[in-house]
Amino acid sequence: MIAILGLAIGLIGGLIIEPEVPDALRPYLPIAVVAALDASFGALRAYLDDIFDDKVFVVSFLSNVIIAALIVYLGDKLGVGNQLSTGVVVVLGIRIFSNVAAIRRHIFHA
Amino acid sequence: MIMRPPYQRNSSTPSQRTRSSWDLLERVSATALDEDYAKAAAQRDDDPRGRRRMPRTLGSLGLIGLGLLVTATALQTRSDEPAEAQERTALISQISERESEISRLASRTDELESDVEGLQGTNEQIGSRGEELLDTLNESQLLAGSVPVTGPGVRIVVDDESEGVSGSGGTILDVDLQVLVNGLWQAGSEAIAINGNRLGALSAIRTAGRAITVNYNSLTRPYVVTAIGNPDTLEASFADTPGGQAWFDLQTNYGIHFDMETVDDLTLPAVPDDRLDTQYATRQGQLP
Repeated sequence: MIAILGLAIGLIGGLIIEPEVPDALRPYLPIAVVAALDASFGALRAYLDDIFDDKVFVVSFLSNVIIAALIVYLGDKLGVGNQLSTGVVVVLGIRIFSNVAAIRRHIFHA
Repeated sequence: MIMRPPYQRNSSTPSQRTRSSWDLLERVSATALDEDYAKAAAQRDDDPRGRRRMPRTLGSLGLIGLGLLVTATALQTRSDEPAEAQERTALISQISERESEISRLASRTDELESDVEGLQGTNEQIGSRGEELLDTLNESQLLAGSVPVTGPGVRIVVDDESEGVSGSGGTILDVDLQVLVNGLWQAGSEAIAINGNRLGALSAIRTAGRAITVNYNSLTRPYVVTAIGNPDTLEASFADTPGGQAWFDLQTNYGIHFDMETVDDLTLPAVPDDRLDTQYATRQGQLP
């Protein structure tokens, strides 16, 4: 319950505040979101598996976001930013898919 | 994509695992859930203080962060759209602008090419006109005596009577020279000089003091008159003119010396500049 409340607060707060993202960070925002989604779906699956842990969630969330952004930043500096972004999105996408598949199995027992 | 059940370890050996990238993808999906959750859960099971498996403050903060990130990115993407559309419109208008510029420059090029053709024609006209004008100038200079001339003609040497031949004391007057020159013109001379003084349109032959002057230069005896003209006919024609008759009389009646010889190559100087100047006479009409 508190989790859904937190998510709702975040979404509505974002809509109200309309946070200004500095231009320098803009290219890394989409990748950061994908990484955050990955961490969140992992947390939901852990919750359903009954092994959720606050600290592990927050640490994985922050590290996912920061590492994904750093990889893309490094790729930009090396001239392979697009390719690295694609790689990161593919890996995170696979993780999200398999986590969502596990969540689905939990909910529908299928 | 093959979805493996949770926590199932990849059964292939490491050497097989690295054989294909498909194995890598399988591994990515197999370890989709952070192993830390399981470890933390195992630790907590040992911890007698109880289980905390519901999201609390920290987890809620993480979810708030997720919500903020998602909305920020969505808003960002939406606000970028008009800018991109604007950019595209600007680029399209720039393209059409450049295209019209190109067509404008192309028509200008055509214009200039036809101009160049026209000017080339004019240039040729001017060139031939210039040659015409040079010819005219050359002719005018020759006629006016403003340039030295050379050619065949006659040389006439005249002198006063020698001392005491006839006793009449014949002396050449300016009038005599005028008559002589007039006769030479009449006989077809084209350029005449007396003692090296070229006769121009403004030259006068007159007595000043005790001497005869031409172009304000005093002459000394004997007077050498050179005339350029047809060497075959000049001498005979001169004899037929009134001037020639007058000089025949001078010779016979006053003992004046008169020697005329045909010369193949005479050179006459130009008329002095001060005898070529007009002060009051100005041209009527345009230059040719």
